[in-house]
Amino acid sequence: MNSLSTYLIISALLFSLGLLGILQRRNLIGMLISVELLLNAANLNFMAYNRFLAPDPVVGQVITLFVMGLAAAEAAIGLSIILALYRKMHSINIEAAQKMKG
Amino acid sequence: MGAIFRDPVLFATVLGANLPFFTMAVILIFTRHNPRLSSQLSVGSIAVSAVCAISLLAKLFFAPALQYQTLWFVSGKLNIVFGYYLDPLSLLMLTIVGIIACLVQIYSLGYMAGDPGYSRYYAFQSLFAWAMMNMVIAGSMLQLFIFWEMVGLASYFLIGFYYEKWSASQAGKKAFVMNRVGDVGFFLGLILLLLGFGNLGIPELNHAASTHGLSQGLLTASALLIFCGVIGKSAQFPLLTWLPDAMEGPTPVSALLHSATMVAAGVYMFSRIFPFFSGSHDAMQFALVIGTVTMLLSSSMAMVTYDLKQVWAYSTVSQLGYMVMALASGGYFAGVFHLTTHAGFKALLFLCSGIFIHEFHTNDMRIIGKQGGRKLKIPMVCITVGALALAGVFPFSGFFSKEAILSVLAAQPNKIWFAAGLFGAVLTAYYSFRLIFHILLPMGGIEEKHHHDDHGGSSHEHEEEHHGYIFWAMAIPVMILAGVSLVLGFAEHPLEHFIMRSVNVPGELAAHGGAALQTVAHVAAEGAGHAHESGSPMLLILGVSAGLLGIFVAWLEYGRKGASRKGFLSHVPAIWKLFDLRWFMDVFYRKGLDTFMYAGLTSLFTLNDRRIIDGGIDGICIFTEGSGRLFSFLQSGMLQFNLLLMVLCAGAAVLYFVI
Repeated sequence: MNSLSTYLIISALLFSLGLLGILQRRNLIGMLISVELLLNAANLNFMAYNRFLAPDPVVGQVITLFVMGLAAAEAAIGLSIILALYRKMHSINIEAAQKMKG
Repeated sequence: MGAIFRDPVLFATVLGANLPFFTMAVILIFTRHNPRLSSQLSVGSIAVSAVCAISLLAKLFFAPALQYQTLWFVSGKLNIVFGYYLDPLSLLMLTIVGIIACLVQIYSLGYMAGDPGYSRYYAFQSLFAWAMMNMVIAGSMLQLFIFWEMVGLASYFLIGFYYEKWSASQAGKKAFVMNRVGDVGFFLGLILLLLGFGNLGIPELNHAASTHGLSQGLLTASALLIFCGVIGKSAQFPLLTWLPDAMEGPTPVSALLHSATMVAAGVYMFSRIFPFFSGSHDAMQFALVIGTVTMLLSSSMAMVTYDLKQVWAYSTVSQLGYMVMALASGGYFAGVFHLTTHAGFKALLFLCSGIFIHEFHTNDMRIIGKQGGRKLKIPMVCITVGALALAGVFPFSGFFSKEAILSVLAAQPNKIWFAAGLFGAVLTAYYSFRLIFHILLPMGGIEEKHHHDDHGGSSHEHEEEHHGYIFWAMAIPVMILAGVSLVLGFAEHPLEHFIMRSVNVPGELAAHGGAALQTVAHVAAEGAGHAHESGSPMLLILGVSAGLLGIFVAWLEYGRKGASRKGFLSHVPAIWKLFDLRWFMDVFYRKGLDTFMYAGLTSLFTLNDRRIIDGGIDGICIFTEGSGRLFSFLQSGMLQFNLLLMVLCAGAAVLYFVI
């Protein structure tokens, strides 16, 4: 139970869910949440490898911290973009935002 | 720099030649809105220049040729110098230019009074004088060429002075373009010389040509090309039609243009490098033919026009033809002397005509005669003096110089040149006295124009009173010039001695190798010898009778009581029309321009511009836009479809690498 492969499987499931969300949600906020899932799946991978394969240098943990900071920043920027889009279009449906298509 | 102030001769040269330029700058920048001050500045500076020129002539009258030069730029083995060359020829010409320009500017005080472009006029006059003076004393052909072009530029400004008039601006353009045609040849000749000989200094060039330092082929080719410049500038045969059109400028400008500056520049350049030209027999023959054709053609044109200024314009062309003939047949002094006397009497003729035109507001000699042209006594007497000089009547200056030319021509083995010269002399006398008789003895007497003319003799005083300052500003230069025309002829021998000395005793040039100048001296002595022959009674009688015959024919047709005043040419309308339309030269040029330039070259260039240059740029635009449009199809606006593709591609890549 307490082995590397368990964590990897959970992480892969998490990633697949995120990917599914990002590909099929039409709501921009939903897509943003899916991206967070992707990032967390990666974080889980880092932590698992750090714990089981290379415990001494805490590189995995450091990277995880970085990714969390990044995710916070990304959420802030993403939400503000969504807000701006909503002000303009009165909708956060991804299919409404295709004015610049070729 | 300090050398300029230490050497009085150099100082006078630099000051005299360049003061007018600074005057022009000052007028254009500062005093443009003060016509009075501008004219005073300009007249003052040109007077200083004239005084400098005269004092230089007096000081260096017995001195050898002087040369000042400084290295301008060096390129490989090529040294281009910039400097002044003061020999008798350039000193004489400098003096002529200074004096005539000064008199013309004084005259213009009256003639141009009240003109809205008064300051501009004086600025350009100064520019003209500066360019011509510097051209005259240039030490190398390149420097001469630069100022030659400046002279052309200044004449363009002045011919098109009344630019609001369509014909005037067209005339300016015509003069400029026709001169460029000749100058292309000139410049090519210079380049050829630079490549083949490597030095453009005037003394060196003359020296090399006379000592066979140049190969005959190079010499002939470059001499012919350089002669193209003379053809353009001095309005010789194929390019002569710009000069009559140049009459659109103010009359004093015509006087300056025709006597001392612009057109004289061509003949001056010819005589400047006369030993060089005389090294090539073919080029000299070519010049002789051109000069003769020009002389006869333009004399014939002068016989039919009624425009006062046109007559003198054609006569200038024909006299220039005379000078070229004289020079081309080896009469160095005869050509230069005729240039000198011609400068005096042609300026006189134009300035007198200017008084008539100013008074009667017309150029038509018949109307001037009818309205009482002869009542203006001073210009009437002076214009007669000028016409007598032009016709070559003793004791006026033209007599001496024309005799000199005829004697040179008579010494040619082929007598046809002499016959042409004599015939030209008859025509010259005929057309100039046709004009005089038209004004002096108008058909049907004088029509009274002013009502106060009825009060007998008071009209003349009234007119002078009416004009006062303006009239005298014009009359005094005219009287001075008339005096000069009267006495200049007697200065033939001192002048001849002065001019020929530069060739016989080369002075400073002797350092380069005195014996080498034998050929030049020989050619010169030949010319001089002929001039002395002018004592031969046969020639003298022929020359004088040619002039008198012309005057007599003119008197028969226009002067005597009951004369038809139509001219014998009016019986043959075809010839009249031929002469009147300048032998259809303008028509021919027009046709040539229309068919060759406008229909041929210009339309090709237009096609090139529209299709190739514009089309090329348009093509680049279309290509860029089209490719942009093509790639923009990838931007479908379906974000998740794009994402799906990306994931699938990444998945495929992972599968490929892992498995």
